[in-house]
Amino acid sequence: MAIGFKTLDVRPILASGGEPFQAIMGTVDDLAPGEGFRLIAPFRPQPLFSVMERRGFDYELEELPDGGFEVRFLPKEAINLQHSEDVVSPDLWPEPSIDLDLSDLDPPEPMVRLLAEAERLDPGEVIFAVLSREPLFLFPELTRRGHQWVGNFDAGGTFYRIMIRVGDEENEGHD
Amino acid sequence: MTGASISRWTMSYFAAALFFLLGGEALFAAGFGFPVLPIEAPETLVVVHIFAIGWLGLLFCGALLQFVPVLVSKPLHAPDLALHALLLLIAGLLCLVCGFVHLAGYFDGGLVLLPVGGMFLAAGFGFVVYMVGGTLLSARPIGLPARFVATGLVALTATAILGVSFALDLSGVIEASFLDQLLVNGLSLHAFLGLIGWMSVSAFGVSYRMLAMFLLAPEIDRRTTSAAWLFLTVAVLAVIVAIPVAAYGLDATAGVHAAIAIAIIAACLFAYDVVNIYRQRKRRSLELNTQMSAVAVGALMLAIGLFLFLSLSGTLASQIGALVYLIAFGWLTVLGLGQLYKIVAFITWLEYYGPVLGRKPVPRIQDLINERRASSWFYLYAGCVAASVLALLLEMPLLFRLAALIQLIAVAALVIELARTRKLSYVAIAPAADGENLQHPPLFLPTPIKRK
Repeated sequence: MAIGFKTLDVRPILASGGEPFQAIMGTVDDLAPGEGFRLIAPFRPQPLFSVMERRGFDYELEELPDGGFEVRFLPKEAINLQHSEDVVSPDLWPEPSIDLDLSDLDPPEPMVRLLAEAERLDPGEVIFAVLSREPLFLFPELTRRGHQWVGNFDAGGTFYRIMIRVGDEENEGHD
Repeated sequence: MTGASISRWTMSYFAAALFFLLGGEALFAAGFGFPVLPIEAPETLVVVHIFAIGWLGLLFCGALLQFVPVLVSKPLHAPDLALHALLLLIAGLLCLVCGFVHLAGYFDGGLVLLPVGGMFLAAGFGFVVYMVGGTLLSARPIGLPARFVATGLVALTATAILGVSFALDLSGVIEASFLDQLLVNGLSLHAFLGLIGWMSVSAFGVSYRMLAMFLLAPEIDRRTTSAAWLFLTVAVLAVIVAIPVAAYGLDATAGVHAAIAIAIIAACLFAYDVVNIYRQRKRRSLELNTQMSAVAVGALMLAIGLFLFLSLSGTLASQIGALVYLIAFGWLTVLGLGQLYKIVAFITWLEYYGPVLGRKPVPRIQDLINERRASSWFYLYAGCVAASVLALLLEMPLLFRLAALIQLIAVAALVIELARTRKLSYVAIAPAADGENLQHPPLFLPTPIKRK
């Protein structure tokens, strides 16, 4: 299951004489659980394949008509992807409305923040957040309030990424 | 389903456990049993089982019911059995204690209470093993910390089986020579399996996860951790193998000694890992519970030192009481009380403010406690444990009783602190109750089911 792709075109960076590696890794770090990464480059980015392999991504390569390459990196496995029981197709969720890095907050502050954001946003909107650990006590509370979520650890197991889709208030309450 | 919820009866387990801790300390202070009377006296058995089952056993059962779901990220298996288990354990302990009081000659006709109590206890622990074991099975493959708990459950089962056989033999309900032999040769096996195999091993496993959680340290599976688990599992199995040997009438001490040696290596690996967790922590200042965990691990290392010293000086047999005391009160009790202080605050916070999180301003968890006040009681308690160990080693029963009396006062003060946390006495901001129909958490009974 891939939730969709983040796309990065590094041709402008290279054209201006820049070094794209950092931009690439920045994008990869920001990927949501299960999300893929689409890279557009003027050449075949061979060295990147092994780097991404180590981070748990397979790739598909396609040559573009203008001589450039499009590489689609797909997370190898989404087996560790956790989700609330009512999640059907997170790939159809809209792009996250907000993107939070809560990895520096002491538990249970991330839980409080995420629940507050979920209250603030409209039904159907999506929150993306990075946490330093699995928010075990948050999961039942999200379900109780009718929100859907998917989440997993990053390949290194240091950060937990979660996407929350704010539920309709009417649905709230049934577990 | 993924995630963890509040285990409904855990607070009741904790309340019952604290009740027995207070009772046991009162008996110590009154000079009932060891060290005023010999270690084999029935009075000592009363006190030992009040602490081992009533305090530590209930504390560990309640904590496992709450924390194993957190360890494996799966809901508790058969949670409805928690109340049955609690009632069976309390009833079983009371019967057992009455049986021992009968053995001490205070009244007649109580002998049958020994096996009855043993059966109740076995059933209660059986339920706990079923709930916790079922949770672990539902979460396979389980992580390293949870494997410690699994090993602990095996040891708990063996401890309970041995306990029931002792009760059957002592009461004379069943006459069998292998039971007689087991009673003569198996006491150290029973004590090792209970204190080390079950409680210490579970405490290791849960500590790995909890300390990393509370100290904001990375949770990595260290090679030393897997080695510690492997060693402890081997030690537990060695003692279980020694059970039939003891029943056959052969000397099983070799098995116990080997197991202790292996467990010592594992405990040192654990301490090494704990030091690393503290070093790699992101939270700079230590909270009271993590300070107490450090004190407890220090006491465990002291216990190892004391064991080696007593063994080398040939005084282990005469001073075994001091060693067991240090393990039960310096290591397990200080660790348990310290974490209890944190867990009660967390559970209360989640229970009361969970429904309004993000909707209303809520206090922080630390606003539910008064660490400064509690910390003096904690350190007084820990100091008294050290004094008690010295009193035992120097054979000064009066000093021991005095220390027990101060411990009783310190524990009572901590119980009051816990009750204040439960009653939200320290919370300065007004509970956000408008329209949310918030219910104040009961002191130690579960909140009536309203929202599922």
